[in-house]
Amino acid sequence: MPPRIVTDTTSRLRSIDFGALFRSAVLAVVAIAGFVAGVGYSMLLWAGQMQDSDTLAAAYHVAICITYVSLFLLLAARYDDRPDTIVEVFWTPVAVGVVFLIVGYFVSRIGQSALLPELAGAVSAGFDLDTGRPLALATVVKMNTLALLEAVFCFLLLLRLRNLALIKRTLTSQRQWNWMIIAMIVAAMTTFMKPPQYELNLYQSVALVPAVGLMVVNAFRTAWIVSLSFRDKLLVIVLSVAILAILLSIGVMEESIAFPNKVVPGSYTFLRHYSYPLAVFTNLSIVFGIIYCTTTILTVLFHLPTTSAYQQKVHEVAAIHSLTDLVGQVFDQSALFDTIAASPVKAGLADAAWLTVANLEDHEPASVVSSHRIAGGRVDRFVDSAALVEEARGSTQPLVLAHAPADHRVSARPGDGIGSLVVIPLNARGDSLGAIIAAKEVSRGFEPEDIEALRVYGDQAALALDHAHLFEERIEKERLARELDIAREVQTKLLPNTLPDVPGVAIAADSIPALEVGGDYYDFMHLDDDRFAFVVADVSGKGTSAAFYMAAMQGIFKSLSRVAPSPKDFLVAANEALSRLLERNVFVSVLYGVLDAREETIRVARAGHCPPAVGDLSGTTELWRSRGLGLGLDPDGELFKQTIEEKSRQLQPGDVFVFYTDGLIESRRGAEEYGYDRLLNVLRDNRHEEAANIRSILLADLDRFVEYGAYGDDTTIVVVKWHGNRYDSDLARVPSLNDRSETLQ
Amino acid sequence: MSNFSVGFRSSGPVTILDLNGELDAHTASELEAAIQRCKDDQHVKIVVNGDQLQYISSAGLGVFMAYIEEVREAGGDIKIASLQPKVFNVFDLLGFPMLFDIVDQEAEAVSKFESHPGAQPGNGSES
Repeated sequence: MPPRIVTDTTSRLRSIDFGALFRSAVLAVVAIAGFVAGVGYSMLLWAGQMQDSDTLAAAYHVAICITYVSLFLLLAARYDDRPDTIVEVFWTPVAVGVVFLIVGYFVSRIGQSALLPELAGAVSAGFDLDTGRPLALATVVKMNTLALLEAVFCFLLLLRLRNLALIKRTLTSQRQWNWMIIAMIVAAMTTFMKPPQYELNLYQSVALVPAVGLMVVNAFRTAWIVSLSFRDKLLVIVLSVAILAILLSIGVMEESIAFPNKVVPGSYTFLRHYSYPLAVFTNLSIVFGIIYCTTTILTVLFHLPTTSAYQQKVHEVAAIHSLTDLVGQVFDQSALFDTIAASPVKAGLADAAWLTVANLEDHEPASVVSSHRIAGGRVDRFVDSAALVEEARGSTQPLVLAHAPADHRVSARPGDGIGSLVVIPLNARGDSLGAIIAAKEVSRGFEPEDIEALRVYGDQAALALDHAHLFEERIEKERLARELDIAREVQTKLLPNTLPDVPGVAIAADSIPALEVGGDYYDFMHLDDDRFAFVVADVSGKGTSAAFYMAAMQGIFKSLSRVAPSPKDFLVAANEALSRLLERNVFVSVLYGVLDAREETIRVARAGHCPPAVGDLSGTTELWRSRGLGLGLDPDGELFKQTIEEKSRQLQPGDVFVFYTDGLIESRRGAEEYGYDRLLNVLRDNRHEEAANIRSILLADLDRFVEYGAYGDDTTIVVVKWHGNRYDSDLARVPSLNDRSETLQ
Repeated sequence: MSNFSVGFRSSGPVTILDLNGELDAHTASELEAAIQRCKDDQHVKIVVNGDQLQYISSAGLGVFMAYIEEVREAGGDIKIASLQPKVFNVFDLLGFPMLFDIVDQEAEAVSKFESHPGAQPGNGSES
């Protein structure tokens, strides 16, 4: 992975930084003006119009320094950004260097024939040996052109190498770079106003030492090499060699005019006459270029063999990263399985890999859920994955089969692509989730560090799988919670708001929903002035399906109770209607009855429902255990019709009937159930109480019994008390005021 | 976590499922899986031993209802034996004795298979 440094060029184009633009413009104007002034000064020198004047010379040199500092800053602004690619950095010095060499080649040969080539040094370059004045117009042209070109080349070289040396910059590396530039400037400035015909003296030479020392330090800032691809590394070597060749052909601090075969003869001499500090600075830049390119070439050469290892590490990291990403992203288990199985292969750690996942709920042996670079069928044919996983199970260490075909659990022959195997157990929170099995074609294919890397995958993969499980559980929980909310709402709406108004009868009813809504339902309906029907039902199952069946039950009750001549007929018809709706494993227990105030009778039938508790004034209590199958248990209806029974009774004042659901009698404290006996006892002891009181007393007793714990199931209680017709119902329709109870929650 | 388990035994051609613990909406799937496994293995003569069954909810009863027809069509039956009184009451309340063979002793259920293979439900014991 070559480090691609992202520079958002579009945004750079969009927002023009006017401050920077202005700064660049000023720098450009200064540089151009300084350069033109420098040209003018040297023309005057050549024309002999200028008296020797130290003041003027000093002004010239200061102007030149300012000019080139401006030029440097101008270029620095352009190349300050981090490079897009490493290779791109090398192209700039190569291109500019070639231009310099070509232009320099021709420029340095202007008017060459007029001079004596055998004369060395300044004279041959066309300067007065004593004063350093240019002797010909050609010399002026050459000096100014070559100085500008060489300075630009050296500046660009320096700036581009700065880009490289400061990749992965630290405070130290940045400081060392700045110190090097400062040392170079200091060394250059020691030669300020130095007559060009003299060589560097001792202290000026000594001033070069710290600059060169810092160059060596900076030359080892080559960390960027590691991340290059093999191809880029070769390219970097070629380009570095090219730059090195350019630099060496320019030469460092030599009076190279003596070598006519030099590409740009006398460049140092021209520079020195132009500006001694600039000459020193450019030459130091060339020295740094040579050192840096040399270390680069050597470092790249050393790193070439490790490129593939580095690339593999990069892939490993990327593969692990993709797994950790998945932890947050994947709602799709099969995609997660595929990624986990593929990552060891993608990381280059295995030739094939597959994932086995244990089914935690069924305790089934682990099965292969995804395979990469090997068909699932081949896996099953060649390897007994379940047995391998069983052996690795619970261990944190991978199981390694160096010679897989020799193992009894592997039936692959050599050549089937399974030479060695590693089984990486996946454990999370103490559970064994399964295993990744990685295969290589060769035996002994896994090195210890490969196995370690695979183990790290295993940890990541286990985490990802565990998260996926948790996520799924959470979704399921939320779904259930929503369902329960809906069910509770439906249940509340289905229960009646008012109780029937029949003379001589007191009614109280209450239904307490459990945490998980069951399917309790009760309702009443006037059949005529003196008769009303009542129903108490319990749908098996919970949540929305229970609520749905409750709604169905309500519909059946409302429609059938008017037309059914007897409770038995009602239940037979209800069984027929409901059986068409109910799933095979769902049924409804129903208690249905009709109270006739005129005839003073009550008739009740139960379809698999809790038997009603009946008490009278004398204190006799009993359960009406008539026969009757739950609705939906016998879809044909034949057996249902044959077996259903009715109970009836001539009402006596003081008769109490308690209809309820199994939430009441099956409520438990430990292993003990509330039970029928306790219900009958409470009924007997409180038979003189109002209907509403009996209901409250029963609920309070149940609360005491379960010690105010949560009810396991919905609990419904309907109490009907017969007071008798104290008034002639035909003459006065006066409700029995004192017994009326409207206590629905 | 789960306080319900199913044990498998066999007595000749009859598979005996020992239920242990509390069978409710949360554990019903385990009994479902057990009966499904018997069916898959063509073992359709099933006796469910409820000696260690402490509690059953309507969802637990639903499991028997869900499978009884298929098992009978395959020529077998699900007979229920050794229920504790409290658990039997729940079966009884809904009228299960009219649909299922519910007997006191496991041996009795097994021998019923031997005498009348694929026996029909009990003829409605009075309750």
